[in-house]
Amino acid sequence: MGNMPTISRRRFIVSSAAFGGGMALGIVDADAAFLAQQPWASGDGLAGSELNPWISIGADDIVVVRVATPEIGNGCMTQTPMLVAEELACDWNKIRAEFAPPSRDFRQDGVYSNGGGPIGYFSGRSTSPERMKLMLQMGASARERLKAAAAAEWKVPAAEISAKDSVLTHVPTGRTLRYGEVAGKAGTIRLAEEPAPKPQSEWTLLGKASPAKLNIPQIVNGSAIYGMDVRVPGMAYAALRQSPVHGGRIRSFDAEKAKSMPGVLAVVTVDPDEPRGLKIKSDAPFGYADTGVRAAVAVVAEHYWQARKALDTVQVDWDDRAGAQWKTTAQMVDACIAALEKPADKVEGQSGDVKLLDRQEHLVEATYVTPFCDQAPMEPLNGTALVTADKVEVWHPAQQSKQAFWVAADESGMDPSKVTFHQTFIGGAFGRRIFADDLRMVVAIAKKFPGRPVHTIWSREEQTRQGKYRPLVAAKLKAGLDKTGLPAVLVVNQASKGHFPRLADNPYFLGCVPNVLVDYRELPFHVVTGAYRGPGYNSYVFMVESFIDECALKVGMDPLDYRLKLLAKWPDSGWTKVLREVADKAGWGKDLPKGMGQGIAISNWGMNGKPEAGTTVGVVATIEVTKSGILKVHQLDAAFDCGRVVNHDAVLNLAQGGIIFGLNMALNEEVNVKDGRMVEGNFDQYPILRTGDTPQINIHFGGLSGHDRFAELGEPPAGPVGPAIANAIFGITGKRIRSTPIRKHDLSWA
Amino acid sequence: MPYDLTVNGQSHSIDADPSTPLLWVLRDHLGMTGTKYGCGIAQCGACTVHLDGTPTRSCQVPLESAAGASVTTIEGLTPDSSHILQQLWVELNVPQCGYCQSGMLMAAAALLERIPNPTDADIDAYVDNLCRCGTYPRVRAAIHKAASGSKV
Repeated sequence: MGNMPTISRRRFIVSSAAFGGGMALGIVDADAAFLAQQPWASGDGLAGSELNPWISIGADDIVVVRVATPEIGNGCMTQTPMLVAEELACDWNKIRAEFAPPSRDFRQDGVYSNGGGPIGYFSGRSTSPERMKLMLQMGASARERLKAAAAAEWKVPAAEISAKDSVLTHVPTGRTLRYGEVAGKAGTIRLAEEPAPKPQSEWTLLGKASPAKLNIPQIVNGSAIYGMDVRVPGMAYAALRQSPVHGGRIRSFDAEKAKSMPGVLAVVTVDPDEPRGLKIKSDAPFGYADTGVRAAVAVVAEHYWQARKALDTVQVDWDDRAGAQWKTTAQMVDACIAALEKPADKVEGQSGDVKLLDRQEHLVEATYVTPFCDQAPMEPLNGTALVTADKVEVWHPAQQSKQAFWVAADESGMDPSKVTFHQTFIGGAFGRRIFADDLRMVVAIAKKFPGRPVHTIWSREEQTRQGKYRPLVAAKLKAGLDKTGLPAVLVVNQASKGHFPRLADNPYFLGCVPNVLVDYRELPFHVVTGAYRGPGYNSYVFMVESFIDECALKVGMDPLDYRLKLLAKWPDSGWTKVLREVADKAGWGKDLPKGMGQGIAISNWGMNGKPEAGTTVGVVATIEVTKSGILKVHQLDAAFDCGRVVNHDAVLNLAQGGIIFGLNMALNEEVNVKDGRMVEGNFDQYPILRTGDTPQINIHFGGLSGHDRFAELGEPPAGPVGPAIANAIFGITGKRIRSTPIRKHDLSWA
Repeated sequence: MPYDLTVNGQSHSIDADPSTPLLWVLRDHLGMTGTKYGCGIAQCGACTVHLDGTPTRSCQVPLESAAGASVTTIEGLTPDSSHILQQLWVELNVPQCGYCQSGMLMAAAALLERIPNPTDADIDAYVDNLCRCGTYPRVRAAIHKAASGSKV
């Protein structure tokens, strides 16, 4: 990426002033290298000949595939083209991917988001049934139109033509045409009947190949454009500071010094109470309820460091409001635990008669707590927006492009037909960038400084303290074990704020235990909560899978056998297959030296109440705890069942990463509250594991059931790591860990 | 007063506040965005560059201290992505989101310069960058593979 000459920036400013805000939409006078590297579509139409809204082919045979799912590291920018290539029979090296523009989606009746509702433009689920079906069909249709075009050219039946590696061959005569030679004509052809995609048994790419991800060449030379890397002409930078107590407001502020500092262009405020909003029916997939801005001061300057330094001099008198009542995290935990004794707000799962609890042979009861956690993506929140009198243009690392598009329209008050959205690469998301509350803040600042693009950057401290956290959850679990030792009654009372009702989505509560009740209470905390890798799941799996171990040990049964017996009734053999596979590969039950031990746990993300759905993951942790209490995780073995696999290495990569994420979540992560304010700000206080902290990780494919589904691997592995470790800790130390992060516990033993 | 800085062999004269971290000079004054901002306190390593050959967290180097130095960034590691680590990063599908990987590559390249055949302990010590996606097993595998390849 070349330099941005100062002269062109000046020229831009002059011309934009001359147009009086009526500047044409699109990048004006932009750096050519920047344009060449952009991952977003340059306009509604595709380069080359468009065979359908997803696929175009140029005269040079280059196939452009539009991808609606933003790339958060899960490989979906590569997976979608693989689905297309399987049917299109093109040369994989000719494939280019670009993000599908929400503006066309808006103008053309949801052309890119119809494949799955809120999931349509969502960063995950690239192998969901809807998406696979759609992209395979698009590839097949494009191929048949290429064949039809060649057939017309040669005046032969299309049935005599084969397609392979971007070449069409008339089989009887051996004549050939490249895709690029007939793409123009193919784009005009209407097929009498759309072809049926081939059966899985005939796949040659899916399930067979794991090509290098398409965006890695740009990553390794630094040219991939993340939200943070957007550099458009005339761009100014903003640094922001939001109310340190979530929900607070600005009482007054003094920015006189900042305004006189070098490079400072403006000091602006963002007020959540200001009237805002677009007066038309919204098509935002997740609505606007989770997109609110926070009270903030931002300094806009020519350079980021100027903005940052000037912001440090701004004095703000904050009105902390209701959040200030929460003096400590402990006070909030106590409030959750106290709420557990009160009537529930909602029942999320119920069957049988839980009044039978007291009539069982054994009673087991325990209270568990999981803390607020920040997604902590490596790329801090940021975004770029240009607001003028009649246009809005944004460049953003959104986890749901369509959501972000609508939020940009809503915050600016601009009709969506005048909003242009450019999807950048994303430096990690883990749920933080789903709702586009970040983009609302970016636009809220930019609209106070109209006429120039404003690139707003959250400092790491701002990112961590202004979170949308995994909720703090407390739960009381009660089990009545019958004569066989298995639970006949299972009751879970939960209390949290921003609760995700997912706990009952588990075989134990869906038939394996005859009498169950799962309920929850919502607390009025001020701390903003949201999605985090595996919403709800990331918390309850620790609780439930630790508690199941408590039940097993209460009756002296092996935790693996206990789970196998408990899950025997569940009509999805993938669960027991996963357990057996991971136990076998990890050497479950083998002799280990004193101070070492193993723990096991199993869970499923995405089943939505059904067997043979979602992805089941089993983990065995092999750990050591010294007598002084130092924990060393030696090895994590994982087996899984997502049904089938279309990309072995992509699955392996996500499983490895998900296991490490789950490990860090369990060992290290928590965000605390003091006097209403969030305490932890940067990685010195919010530790993340490094290479040297990472144990041996073994991912085993022998748990796959072969059931006809290709469920996701991003979220599922994060669940069972923590409880497997906690269960192993109990075996070594006799100490039951009922809260995370585990690093806060004294693990010493005698 | 402008400061002279050589970046990837090209000399620049930069007129900026002397306290401006090298990270922001590269990203914002020179438009070289391969070097990433992650934390600003030398914890994460996403901003790692080579400063006169030494792997350095550029968020901690004010412009006035970097003046006169020669800086190599990810954009200048090679002109054509031909470094063995860059090639192996592609071959082994190392990155996930990729945001930390510029720094990861610069740290790993510096390690191989010093220790052509590093042990696991060497990797742990020299490549201590943060990766939230958890690419560590592949980073380690790629460095080992590069080391074995460089002996051939």
